[in-house]
Amino acid sequence: MLTFIVFLPLVGAAICALLPKDRPTWPRWVALAVTTVDLALVAWVVSRFQIGAGHQFAEKFAWVPAVDINYSLAVDGLSLPMLVLSALLTFLAVIASFKIESKPKFYFAMLLLLQVGTNGVFLALDFVLFYVFWELVLVPMYFLIAQWGGERREYAAIKFFLYTLLGSVFMLVGIIALYLKTGSFDMLKLSVLGGLLPPGFQNWVFLAFFLGFAVKVPMWPLHTWLPDAHVEAPTAASALLAGVLLKMGTYGFLRVSLPMLPDAFASWRWFLAVLAMISILYGAIVAFAQTDLKKLVAYSSVSHMGFAMLGIASGTALGINGAMAVNFSHGLVTGLLFFLVGMIYERAHTREIARISGIAGQMPVLAGLLAFTSFASMGLPGLSGFVGEFLSLLGAWQSDLSRWVVVVSVLGVLLGAAYILWMVQRVVMGQPSHTIADCADVTPVELMVASPLVFLVVAVGLNWDLLLRYTDPAARAVAKIVGF
Amino acid sequence: MTGYALLIPELLVLAGAFWALFAELLPGRDRGSAWAGFSLTAAAAVIAVLQPVAVAGPFPEQLAFDGPARFARVTILVLTAAWMLWTAGRGAGRMREAVSLALFAVLGAMLMAGARELVTLVLAIELATMPAYVLIGYRKDNVLGLEGALKYFLLSLLTSLVMLYGFSFLYGISGSTLYAEIDLTGAGVLGLIAVLFSMVGLLAKLSAAPFHYWAPDAYAGAQPWTVAFVSSVPKVAGAFAAMRLLATMAPDTASMSMVLAVIAGGSILLGNLGALTQTDIRRMMAYSGVAHTGYLLLGAVTLTTGGYIAAVFYAVAYAFPSLGVMLVTAEEGPALADLNGLSSRRPAAAWATAVMLLSLIGIPPLVGFFGKLFLFQAALSGGQTVLVVLAVTMSVVSAGYYLRIVRAMFFAEEEPGHRGAALNRPAAVALTMCIIAVVGIGLFAGPLFQAMGTFLR
Repeated sequence: MLTFIVFLPLVGAAICALLPKDRPTWPRWVALAVTTVDLALVAWVVSRFQIGAGHQFAEKFAWVPAVDINYSLAVDGLSLPMLVLSALLTFLAVIASFKIESKPKFYFAMLLLLQVGTNGVFLALDFVLFYVFWELVLVPMYFLIAQWGGERREYAAIKFFLYTLLGSVFMLVGIIALYLKTGSFDMLKLSVLGGLLPPGFQNWVFLAFFLGFAVKVPMWPLHTWLPDAHVEAPTAASALLAGVLLKMGTYGFLRVSLPMLPDAFASWRWFLAVLAMISILYGAIVAFAQTDLKKLVAYSSVSHMGFAMLGIASGTALGINGAMAVNFSHGLVTGLLFFLVGMIYERAHTREIARISGIAGQMPVLAGLLAFTSFASMGLPGLSGFVGEFLSLLGAWQSDLSRWVVVVSVLGVLLGAAYILWMVQRVVMGQPSHTIADCADVTPVELMVASPLVFLVVAVGLNWDLLLRYTDPAARAVAKIVGF
Repeated sequence: MTGYALLIPELLVLAGAFWALFAELLPGRDRGSAWAGFSLTAAAAVIAVLQPVAVAGPFPEQLAFDGPARFARVTILVLTAAWMLWTAGRGAGRMREAVSLALFAVLGAMLMAGARELVTLVLAIELATMPAYVLIGYRKDNVLGLEGALKYFLLSLLTSLVMLYGFSFLYGISGSTLYAEIDLTGAGVLGLIAVLFSMVGLLAKLSAAPFHYWAPDAYAGAQPWTVAFVSSVPKVAGAFAAMRLLATMAPDTASMSMVLAVIAGGSILLGNLGALTQTDIRRMMAYSGVAHTGYLLLGAVTLTTGGYIAAVFYAVAYAFPSLGVMLVTAEEGPALADLNGLSSRRPAAAWATAVMLLSLIGIPPLVGFFGKLFLFQAALSGGQTVLVVLAVTMSVVSAGYYLRIVRAMFFAEEEPGHRGAALNRPAAVALTMCIIAVVGIGLFAGPLFQAMGTFLR
């Protein structure tokens, strides 16, 4: 079943690539059909998922027996929410991309190929397979940015590719180093065997993995690829980049760094916590200074992912639950924000905050959605953003990390509220600017993109248990390994 | 007599070489030579796959028929078959001499991969490289090509002499030219000199730094379709020969490992940095070839059999995409700008090239990734952490220049007045063969790696 979920989009991509050129509308329907089926399959997995039963739906067979590389997939509480995000956001990204006119075959094939990678990363339990999917993600995203991006798309695409490749090749070194010490690529076995390794060795391997994951998250100071990539990428790619790809980084910490290298984590968590704190503040402060709507959202991502990293650095079950909640919520909210910014850009043909104002008067529904999403983004209680930030901070407070880190990070919440509200005030309120004169409000299709995300944001925000009951057993298991 | 059946692939290649020499008188004339070359090498490849391994063979002391030898022969034959097919489809001007020379070189390359006796090895090497000089300077009106050929010839001659000097030490120490009797234990400094000189000669042929300066000039002067051959087939054979010899000499001193580490690191650095600024794809691929030789030597640095096998596997992993990229270059033109807009005029070719470049970068699940995986594994278990970190960092640099080609193909405007190549069935099939190898060897890396086995002494 999981194999089907991972590789169905690959079949779809192949079909898209082989469709006749003079039927420009066919690829989108193929992509829609494939992602719908994929989403349905994921929903089925969610419905059959047994909470607290560890890894499920496992599939495993030998791939390279000589060095014990297996094709091994399974889903657990950490990967399930991420899988849902990946399937849902790709599905919505396809709908949001119906207007793509340039090279639709290529575009939808890349979108589907991207999903193969993102689905696979969250399900793989063999390190080599994990790495295969991890790297597979780079290629379609490179093409999505470089082909359909903004003005500086080629620069942004290559920067994205090289930055993340640099991170991940060090990850590869870490993977091989672990294999040589333990004789296994099996990620489950490694989370038992890893802890037995000498701390000195763990530290080096941790550093290698840190480079791979921290670039992806991204943590300050490895974040510089992100604003470029986000701003230049087409709307759907931005949403997937923020909504799914960044989560690969935090997921990597939770799946690899913590359980496999607990001693190293114990000595590095201060460092992680401080970097997380800097990311939170830095992202928020820089977001203040942005005049471009998309760049503002991009920097807010740096800030928000900082909360996830703070939760992870705490090492407590609460903090890890918080990190997972930030992951999930940020995926929904920022995905939605990018879709909305894309809608505004399509109408106003500008993303300059100074040149857009008063959309509430002209386009009340869009304005309402933007305001709602902004509130969710700044962590208003009752919406999903609050859950994660609250739990992450609580987890960090509970742990033996210096409370100053937590106190300073809370400032980030305030700053977050401030820049978001300021943005809402400028864009939503006021006299309608001439850039949005006679622009129509959201279309039914656009509403269709937004509504599932809005629904989930409210649902998770009101009933935390909806998400946490899946993540909690897994989070406890990780926290137990690292000793909290 | 049955043993001689093992040489059928070699005999087929030889028959092809003679066919091409007399192509003028035979059916199909000029183009027929390439078709004959293709059919015979393809048939030889099939036979080579089916042949048993680890048997004594007709000349048990001179030629090995072990797992690696079979792997090398099949690879060389498939590469050549693809090249012949391309030549048959696209070939322009007089091609029969090129076909004949290439087939003689292939014969040399196949013997080189299996040679387990020093004189046999020397003869095989000369048979494999002599035609390559001529192929580089194939057009006598092309001054640059002649210059490149001359450089290649002189340097190759020099390194052959160094290598022979090393062989003479080997003979002096063990009193025999047979690998089975070469034994350097207790030879001390003399043994080290023997290993060093022998390896230097072989590595220079693989264009390892600091003996790589001939490669960019030689490639850039030559016609791309001959470069495609020269940069892939002899390299595979050279890697197998070098590793087999290294496995035989079995040096286990830290200083030898150090020397190889310096050569490997230097090749990776100079190759990748050199390639970074090139605008001629032949030059870029020449420098990147230097870098890939450096990667391959990561396996040799460990001085373990596992490392040697990883190294030869990587040579195979490099050869297919390298051949494919050069063939596309031969179709479209050697300048980077000639590839501009390839994706809109020939999407399939552009995608094929992109996949091959991604394999060269080492993106999974393509063959280049598994080649690197096995190499890094060997090198890390040999404690070469610094070298591996250098290698992975530089592979990111290599992504920088390979992506320039991708950029040109997908995102650059077509040069005005550029005439792209029209669709050509045989050439398309040849490219498809490369792609199948790049993806297929990648997905089945495990079984293939296992099937290769190890060098028999």
